[in-house]
Amino acid sequence: MPAKYGLPSDPDYSLRLAEFEARIGRGEKIEPGDWMPEEYRRQLIRMISQHAHSEVVGMLPEGAWINRAPTLKRKMILIAKVQDEAGHGQYLYHAAETLGVSREAMLEALLSGKAKYSSIFNYPTLTWADIGTIGWLVDGAAIKNQTMLAAGSYGPYSRAMVRICAEEAFHHKQGKEMVLFYARGSEKQRQMAQDAINRWWWPALMMMGPHDADSPNSEVLTRWGIKTKSNDTVRQEFINEHAPEILDAGLQVPDPDLHQDDKGNWVHGPINWDEFWQVVGGNGPMNKERLEARRKAHDEGAWVRSALETYAAKLQKATVAV
Amino acid sequence: MRNEIKQALIARLTALADDEVILSHRNSEWTGHAPILEEDIALANIAQDELGHASVWYSLRKELDGSDPDGLVFFRDADEFRNCELVELPRGDWAFTMLRQFLFDLNETLWLQQARDSSYQPLADAANKILREERFHLQHTQAWVERLGLGTEESNRRMQNALDFMWGYTQQLFVPIPGEDLLVAEGIVPDLGGLKTRWLEYSIQHLQNSGLKLPINPGYQPASRTHHTEHLWSILAEMQSTARWDAAARVW
Amino acid sequence: MDTQWPRWEVFKQDTPAKPHQAVGSVHAADPQHALLTARNIFARRPQAISMWVVRAEDIFSWTKEELAENPPPEAAKQTEPLAYGFQPLTFCVFRKTSHKRSMTFVDYVGEVSASSPEDALKQAQQQFGDVEALAWWIVPTDRLAKSDPGSETVESWFAPATDKTYKQQQYYATIGSHVSKHKLGRETDDEE
Repeated sequence: MPAKYGLPSDPDYSLRLAEFEARIGRGEKIEPGDWMPEEYRRQLIRMISQHAHSEVVGMLPEGAWINRAPTLKRKMILIAKVQDEAGHGQYLYHAAETLGVSREAMLEALLSGKAKYSSIFNYPTLTWADIGTIGWLVDGAAIKNQTMLAAGSYGPYSRAMVRICAEEAFHHKQGKEMVLFYARGSEKQRQMAQDAINRWWWPALMMMGPHDADSPNSEVLTRWGIKTKSNDTVRQEFINEHAPEILDAGLQVPDPDLHQDDKGNWVHGPINWDEFWQVVGGNGPMNKERLEARRKAHDEGAWVRSALETYAAKLQKATVAV
Repeated sequence: MRNEIKQALIARLTALADDEVILSHRNSEWTGHAPILEEDIALANIAQDELGHASVWYSLRKELDGSDPDGLVFFRDADEFRNCELVELPRGDWAFTMLRQFLFDLNETLWLQQARDSSYQPLADAANKILREERFHLQHTQAWVERLGLGTEESNRRMQNALDFMWGYTQQLFVPIPGEDLLVAEGIVPDLGGLKTRWLEYSIQHLQNSGLKLPINPGYQPASRTHHTEHLWSILAEMQSTARWDAAARVW
Repeated sequence: MDTQWPRWEVFKQDTPAKPHQAVGSVHAADPQHALLTARNIFARRPQAISMWVVRAEDIFSWTKEELAENPPPEAAKQTEPLAYGFQPLTFCVFRKTSHKRSMTFVDYVGEVSASSPEDALKQAQQQFGDVEALAWWIVPTDRLAKSDPGSETVESWFAPATDKTYKQQQYYATIGSHVSKHKLGRETDDEE
């Protein structure tokens, strides 16, 4: 059987690559078992596992507020939302696993600090309004990206994204609802909402990644249908939707240069990429704490995982004996 | 409804709801910190359902006295809560959390099964509804008790420690609240005596099948829901911090 | 060795009129644990009435491309003894037929009796060849663990999700509209 993951050194590589790209061009999904370039697989594993890690680490900043939610309803909504994030991590690890990488290996990469996850989760959640703002802006930014990825060429990733998008719409709306309430709420609530927007606006814009000119992987990802829109395009969609809504709600966008151009696009001022790369590089305010929390949970769970494995082995033995 | 019965029912509903809210709080502490991703999801499921059940019980109370559920949860002081001490205990390790949940779920399931026949229709309806979810919780936690009890030496030891620690506390679930006898006489709630017998029978059998032994000395057994552990104050300080942060806030 | 437990593929049936569909996988230690876990993960929202799980390693899969390049050996020439107890065996057949945007993979189409997975595939191609298959999954039926079909289980495992309206985006209907039309607070208390 020919290798499923093709290398440029393979004698039939260019022929297969042409067939592969033609399939993508026809809108076919690539499924586990199909031929694909090793580079396609590598890029997918990198993106999907980063995305999965982001969901898993993303449980932490919001999960910490479940026990401080101000009403029963908000508490239930927040548990459901953080639960969804765990679920999304779970779906995404599954998608990566179909490419022949184990969850053990992916987690090892996360816990050892080798793997990246979305930098947005390395910022602290300082007030309750952060929970609304994360839902509205951070999930709003994520949805733009995810909707694009749902159209992608790799079957398992695309299916995970379709499922995630269907669930994520609720995250966005519950967050927006909160911020809109607080924008017209008490003085303290209004201030809290504005403060949260001030802190989360720029990190949300950075979520789409570097400008197209500085994004090294973009060309091949687009050609192979993994990404169907560029970073700047998705960022523009996000700003066009959210900037006017923030302003309509009577809140400020923390960007003195923000304006609408003659095509109707909202144009942002310069993004502080130095901050972005600092956080990516491990120097964000919460990098160490987030990773430490994940490591602690993993270490403290070791005896539980081992107990169930032992039980399952005993069960198997008993079944065979019968 | 006679006033003394109404007051007793309000007290019972409050106890049911407070148990769920505080236990949900403890379970929520695991979110993001569970032994494996699948169990983050599972425990968030239980915590969410418990909060839903609390809402149901507070709503029944609201029908009787007009009290606002959020007002009760976020603006009562520790000495006004009527939950049992078992649910206040720190989450401990995964063995402690799963065992507490199993013993609590078993009690809840048995109580609800009988409460479906309550002469007070709103309570019977609520019991029917909540029982559906509770059956699943019980299956889930029962499976965990068995697996940890029969898993490794370490998991068995941790389960046994948890059992030794909490067995006495669990007995409070069967201590009647003031006025409970009136409610039982009216056929509104199940008799806790009969309930305890069935709970003991079922739980002891499952614990033994899971390789666990009942402690010889059950330890401290709380007797009144007006008493609390030293943890409740801190739980509420956290839980109520946002709601109490701004007296002028109308909508959250 | 510390592991994440084996992986189990999950099949969910939404309504009696729909087939079981592959929705994703869970990591779990044993079959019952896998089913409980699958319920927690894939029935957080409606709809579901039944779930099946099977160890990922017990699935035999072929894509259209794989079959075109490497047709499976004739069943008669199959010499590898099967690891399972008796023959012929029953196999569950799952099939994918569309490239359309979807959150599920293969659908359950039926059972076949066969002497090997390859033989099962051949029979599946004959019996379920009405539509071109883009991918096949063949699963020995005795390897599937299924949720209890009794009404009490269905009520307990799957019905409650329908009441959790706060997880549905429709619950936040006014949020989609312009802020001026957005109500502050809800008029009615629709708690549970």
